[in-house]
Amino acid sequence: MVMDIQRDQRRFKQIVRGRIRQNLRKYITHGEMIGRRGRDAVSIPVPQLDVPHFKYGKNGSGGVGQGKGEVGDPLSQPGEGPEGAGGAGSDPGSGHLVEVEVSLKELAEMLGEELELPRIQPKGTANIESEKAKYNSIRQTGPESLKHFKKTYLRALKRQITTGNYVPDDPCIVPVKGDKQYRSWNDVPLPEVNAVAIYMMDVSGSMTDEQKHIVRNEAFWIDTWLTNQYRGIETRYIIHDAIAKEVDEHTFYHTRESGGTRISSAYKVCADLIASTFPSEDWNIYCFQFSDGDNWGDDNRVAFELLNQKLLPVVNAFCYGQVESPYGSGDFIDSLRKEFNNHESLILSEIPDKDAIYNSIKTFLGKGK
Amino acid sequence: MKLRDDFVQELKSLVGQTNHQVSVSDGLRTIRCKVLQCDPLGAAISDLVLETGELATADIAKLETASKSLCGRVTYLLEPISPIEIDSTGCVVQMRSNPPHKDDNGLKYYELTLRQGGSVSLTRYEKQPANSRLPVPATLTHEVLSRLVEDFSIAVDEVLPS
Repeated sequence: MVMDIQRDQRRFKQIVRGRIRQNLRKYITHGEMIGRRGRDAVSIPVPQLDVPHFKYGKNGSGGVGQGKGEVGDPLSQPGEGPEGAGGAGSDPGSGHLVEVEVSLKELAEMLGEELELPRIQPKGTANIESEKAKYNSIRQTGPESLKHFKKTYLRALKRQITTGNYVPDDPCIVPVKGDKQYRSWNDVPLPEVNAVAIYMMDVSGSMTDEQKHIVRNEAFWIDTWLTNQYRGIETRYIIHDAIAKEVDEHTFYHTRESGGTRISSAYKVCADLIASTFPSEDWNIYCFQFSDGDNWGDDNRVAFELLNQKLLPVVNAFCYGQVESPYGSGDFIDSLRKEFNNHESLILSEIPDKDAIYNSIKTFLGKGK
Repeated sequence: MKLRDDFVQELKSLVGQTNHQVSVSDGLRTIRCKVLQCDPLGAAISDLVLETGELATADIAKLETASKSLCGRVTYLLEPISPIEIDSTGCVVQMRSNPPHKDDNGLKYYELTLRQGGSVSLTRYEKQPANSRLPVPATLTHEVLSRLVEDFSIAVDEVLPS
């Protein structure tokens, strides 16, 4: 039976979800509002949420009088006396923010609904199998915590009937050691589709903290969506200026270099990573690259060669997002358009400011590849 | 300084002319400048480059030090200049207006590069909203141009072993 409090809690959760959905664009744009709560959940400040509270009536609300007055003066009821000197404030209230915890799975679902993102169609067939323990059998031995009461008592009943110890008028069943039945597991092979997301970020001198903040926000939402689509997705990070290297997540988001921009260096590390660790026949590969597009001189030619020969043929999608630096966007995105005109695996997006993150995510993930 | 004086003389001879390529040399260093328009006070140029073989073996650390020093001296342009990217692979230091000039028409900035090989150069860029970045003419007085030539030359001197 569902208790009232559970029903109320469910209703309250629905209201919270509705508010989050309403403000999702703001949360996407201002990623700093979202706090991490462990691996699988985030906390989100929800504004103007009417938290249920008690309202007191007038009865008994009068207290002991204080201030000027004579013995015998009547006390006015609340709301009836003359108004005090203080007036209503003219500034709007700051509003109450309630931090609500949302699982990343729920957040991804909201993102999918809000942006109308299609479900991703995994490349190839699900040909990787993993073993999963499933409690689907019964054994005579096992820990007491796994004892199957119903089967134990059924077995005891059978024994008592066959041995003539069962008295229908006085049905008393007492299991003995041999009657005990325990739940047990079997290893069940489960088909699993493997996926890897490789994030590449330009950390050269022309990329400021603001650009990296945009990249971080966008990468967070993309990661949330992909994690929802693929169980156990692998995530790898590459940073580059003139030289590229694979780094951990923290370094990816917190490094600032001052080197020149050679995008080909990141492509080379990415191609090597795919070749050595993520063979394309077994893996769904997603690459997300972010740069201000200010690539040095002759590097475009090398970068395009790597992209054409080693990356585009093996990835599900190669997404390039060009953020705008204080010096404006570079020419890399235009060169990509010219070189790979409408290539099916290449998705391009320009991100001039925070507000463009929303549409950029939709561009990247909207194809459901 | 002979290079600077020769360059100023060449500029004066171009007053009233358009689209002229200036090239003056002192044997070791050559100044190249595409003058788009020149009048008695100043000139609109598409770029200004000092080329020299003296920087053939310059290392990135020396180029970086010289670029910082150059940025400290070139304080007479429309915006302050500072090093933005230091490319150790290609041995190039890129300096730009910091911050760039912004208005309703987009943004403009100077870009200077000091590279192994070598050269020191200046170009002005403009980026209009929704358009690609393009090099645009830099309008500078003759006096500013002569100071740039002198400062470029000092930058090369600073890279060379003392």
